[in-house]
Amino acid sequence: MPETPPQGQPDEAMVDLLIKQVTEGLSSAEQRELDVMDSETASAYLRDFERAAAAVTLAAGTRGASLPPELAQRIARQAAEHFGPGAEALVASAPGASAQVSSLDAARSAKLDAGTASPRRASASRSGTYGWLAAAACLVLAVFGWMRSPAPPEAPAVAVLPPTTIIPPVPPPPPAPPTPAQERTALLAKSDSIKVTLGATKDPASKGVNGDVVWDPVTQKGFLHFVGLAANDPAVKQYQLWIFDAARDQRYPIDGGVFDVPADASEVVIPFNASLAVSKAAAFAVTVEKPGGVVVSARQHVVALGAAS
Amino acid sequence: MLQRIAGGDSAAVRECIDQYGALIWSIARRLSRTPSDAEDGTQEVFLDIWRSASRFDASQGSEKVFIAMIARRRLIDRLRKTSAEPPMDTMEALELVGSGDQATTSESSMEAEQATRALAELRPEQRQVLELGLLHGLSQSEIATRLNMPLGTVKSFMRRGLIKVRENMNIAAEGVSARI
Repeated sequence: MPETPPQGQPDEAMVDLLIKQVTEGLSSAEQRELDVMDSETASAYLRDFERAAAAVTLAAGTRGASLPPELAQRIARQAAEHFGPGAEALVASAPGASAQVSSLDAARSAKLDAGTASPRRASASRSGTYGWLAAAACLVLAVFGWMRSPAPPEAPAVAVLPPTTIIPPVPPPPPAPPTPAQERTALLAKSDSIKVTLGATKDPASKGVNGDVVWDPVTQKGFLHFVGLAANDPAVKQYQLWIFDAARDQRYPIDGGVFDVPADASEVVIPFNASLAVSKAAAFAVTVEKPGGVVVSARQHVVALGAAS
Repeated sequence: MLQRIAGGDSAAVRECIDQYGALIWSIARRLSRTPSDAEDGTQEVFLDIWRSASRFDASQGSEKVFIAMIARRRLIDRLRKTSAEPPMDTMEALELVGSGDQATTSESSMEAEQATRALAELRPEQRQVLELGLLHGLSQSEIATRLNMPLGTVKSFMRRGLIKVRENMNIAAEGVSARI
């Protein structure tokens, strides 16, 4: 008979349901099962497990992903609609507002020109109307004021100087960020970095490949360096780096991300981070995979391989 | 930033897209079946953020964790809804992972460091189960099939792993871990 947990503590069944909810979601039947359990305890523990899962997600990093510009535009548009016309203007003028926002504004302008009704257009239209009314009112007041007021005494002649303009010194241009090749050289100079030579394999695509990996176990970052690695068409295939951690099951090396070799590059230096913490890098391998890479490689096309000494 | 978003500060909205776009996109790609799903999911996550910003409580964790929680919740919900759809090759969808990446960018935060430490203390097979479930959106049944492991073992590894991370995050879990 299962032990009854103390008040406020979940039993094993509840924990299993909560973890399933956090990792893959519950079926209707499972949700009903959870609904009849102690809701206060379930809520508290669900939140904790969600936090833990989120932390693991953060630990895995972003794999160098960046939001596609067109998707960022759609999100900005959606935000403008959600927050209203005032927010739209703020979004466009936000510090660091990028070309994406400018493009967005251009797109909006085109939309407005096409006569599409929008809150922004209504606002602009109202502003215009109010502006003309205000200008007209000022003009009437000025005319009546001029007609009714006696001529003012002549003011003493005062030399009016233009306001002093202080021109701030032009700041020196920021230094250019180091290139991956420069960063690799700097990492090589660090005492705790390791360098692993990558050699060719029997795979035909590996012919003439020379390369190395420079890896920093402290920052968990590294650089791939290749000469002679064939250019790839990213729409057809991509190279993927794998890091073998001595502390892990060797069947499941850590994904180091995918990369491309441009057609005109005889030599490439590619920065990378491990998707998970590497305790002790034992070996590195590069495979050819489908665009986007794979979670577990079939290792059918290993084009470079090297073990740490 | 979330407090400013809740207050209607649209500059904060722009900052949010700039700062967390990559994180949310990377999670969406992992937890979506198709590229189109990943895009739709990302948009839905941001909408959830705009709506939920006022509920952020800094005493409960970092902004980054709050955002990742919202993203996971929404994307898992979407994943569950699409999982009933006719034949979908889970592994094909998973191969989206890493699309276009040149390098990995770690998301540094105290919670992420705690999670990393917790993962390092797990046995390799436990860690593998947790990673496949949390990072790649595989269901427990899919993990069992993939690793040729009994479902009960997968559940047990998942439970212990998540509880370990939870404990490392200084969340009182003695009651749970002691019994399970």
